[in-house]
Amino acid sequence: MKTILDWLDERTGWRKVKEVILDRHIPKGVDWRYTLGSVTLFFFILQAVTGILLAMHYSPSPDHAYDSVKYISKEVPMGAFLRGLHKWGATGMVISAFLHLLRVFVMGAYKYPREVTWLSGVILFFFVIGFGFTGYLLPWDQKAFWATTVGAHMVEQVPYLGTALAKIMKGGQDLGAVTLARFYAIHVLVFPALTLLFLAIHLFLVVWHGISAPPERDSSSFDPRDPSWKTRLRARYLELKAQGKSFWPYIIFKDTVAVTIVFFIVLGVAIWKGAELEDLANPTDTTYNPRPEWYFLSVFQLLKYFPGKLEAFAVVLLPLIAVSLLFALPFFDKGPRRHPADRKWLVAAGWMAVLGLIFLTIQGARTPLTNPVGEKNPMVMEGKRLFVELHCQYCHTLHGHGGTVGPVLDEVGVRRNGDWLANHFRNPKKITPGTTMPNFNLLDGEVEALVAYMSSLGGGTFSPKAPGLFEENCATCHKFHGVGEEIATDLTHIASVRDSDYIAAYIKDPLKLNPDAAMQGYTDQLTPEQIQDLANYIYQQGK
Amino acid sequence: MTDTSQKVHDPENPQRRSFLIGLIAAMGGLISFILGGSGIFYFLSPAWRGKKEDWVEVGPVEGIQEGTPIKLDYVKRKMDGWNVIESPSSVWVILQKGEWVAYDPHCTHLGCPFRWDSAKQAFLCPCHGGVFSKDGKVVSGPPPKPLVRFPVKITGGTIYVLPEGAA
Repeated sequence: MKTILDWLDERTGWRKVKEVILDRHIPKGVDWRYTLGSVTLFFFILQAVTGILLAMHYSPSPDHAYDSVKYISKEVPMGAFLRGLHKWGATGMVISAFLHLLRVFVMGAYKYPREVTWLSGVILFFFVIGFGFTGYLLPWDQKAFWATTVGAHMVEQVPYLGTALAKIMKGGQDLGAVTLARFYAIHVLVFPALTLLFLAIHLFLVVWHGISAPPERDSSSFDPRDPSWKTRLRARYLELKAQGKSFWPYIIFKDTVAVTIVFFIVLGVAIWKGAELEDLANPTDTTYNPRPEWYFLSVFQLLKYFPGKLEAFAVVLLPLIAVSLLFALPFFDKGPRRHPADRKWLVAAGWMAVLGLIFLTIQGARTPLTNPVGEKNPMVMEGKRLFVELHCQYCHTLHGHGGTVGPVLDEVGVRRNGDWLANHFRNPKKITPGTTMPNFNLLDGEVEALVAYMSSLGGGTFSPKAPGLFEENCATCHKFHGVGEEIATDLTHIASVRDSDYIAAYIKDPLKLNPDAAMQGYTDQLTPEQIQDLANYIYQQGK
Repeated sequence: MTDTSQKVHDPENPQRRSFLIGLIAAMGGLISFILGGSGIFYFLSPAWRGKKEDWVEVGPVEGIQEGTPIKLDYVKRKMDGWNVIESPSSVWVILQKGEWVAYDPHCTHLGCPFRWDSAKQAFLCPCHGGVFSKDGKVVSGPPPKPLVRFPVKITGGTIYVLPEGAA
């Protein structure tokens, strides 16, 4: 064994490497706050591992991205779990990178001789944010699409160059196939490569200079005007270092404990919450409430305070100032004094900025949803997609568009029940002899989705009692085709924006769909059948 | 500012040192096991994931004469990962002595599409002259194996086949 190790040492110099990296002494007083860097590094590894696995079942094109992510979540063993880890790992990484930066800021660890370590760290922090921004477009769901749309519009606010920058970002005029491919390439190729490069620089410098010792109050003895402070600082550092323990295993032990704890937290959240997948991105949807990922909520909130032309100030100038300050920090806060008590104003300003960020994030998260959140049946959405994909409108008319070979489908949900529809899709000729509708050999899931969509068309029938129910319960506030008071919304044209399921859900519990609703739920006054009857009536008569 | 010249020695006792190393290995091992295990499971899962049986409807029983092979064309919709693909294909169906047989329409030699020659009462492959009898056996030519049979079933007057491993 010894000869093998000797042989290897002669050729690789591993003993020296081990001595420099693992056996190096860490200054006395390095405590748990110093584990944040290792935790961030761990998150990078976690994201790389889970990211590579996810890439194996992902297709970066608008036609397939959503389906491939759904495939990972539903079909691939452990897929949902790994997606959850990747999503929550991203959140963990943003938090740990931010806390690491904050720790270094408060302790003044960016000061001589660690200025370049700080600069490489700030660059790495922006890569973490960049990973987040490029990553959440990839599932191509509503959140992905709209958050990126908002991001692109923010870029457009840059004076003079805005339009060009936004086009470069999107790869063209519109957010689409090129944007997705670009974001994917940046997320999985450009950023990881650059992150590795800067990580190598960052870690090399950490080892080269040694981990900074905790700041000491009595450093006031180092008079910055005395040119020898650097020499004395070094001597003091070596002193503390000699009193400290070796990196392996004492410091690594702390790091491992911290990493294990955060790993199990992320693991728990990944299992508990998973990674949601909203509806497929729909550029024509006007009912969606776009919200960015939580770590962009502060910018989202900031925009509200700067309406109109001032927007450029919030979108461009403020972030630019913040970024510049971060980079410039070690160049205007110089000298030997590192203890927060010796840098009161700067540290106070830093904490103010942090509190401001937290305040903006909380305010952003508490923004009321402008569009009522309706529960959409995912099967209906799926059926709608399939309806387009199979070109059903070549033969059938729906909402005034389509061919005349087959029957008009506007009211098909009223005319046909689910069983009939399912049998019809499986074998049209058997159910309707003489029909020219081809057998599409649909998969079971496809039949189910199409049935759900067809059943939703027409909005169901209503009984002769429905108009009476309306007059008794609704007409006191709502106007409908000239009848009733105009205290609340006129419902005459409601069917053009809401379907009967939505109307029924609204009658049951208005607050759930619209937090500002003045209307009370009617579950006490009306039976579920009556509510459905009423909803169908309002929908049918409103068309 | 590295000082590698400094002689390394631990102030702590060696027992504590090995105890910490043991704990590091345990924690590291646990994380690697969970992450690595689920990753390997995810990566290798195609090996044991079952295949779904996709019976395809190819046509009605009506009009098929006993003893005469007929080529039925169909469009198969199937899942290819996250894509639904539509592939037009065909199958030779023959009713012989009350038994339904379905043949993969590709020659077992190199996959060329063979045809039925009613005069010779044999399947002829246009590529290298392979000849198969009505029951799929090789009569002459280079084909190494008899014709590939697909499972076939009749339900409610409709013929379904299960085109597995179609070339």
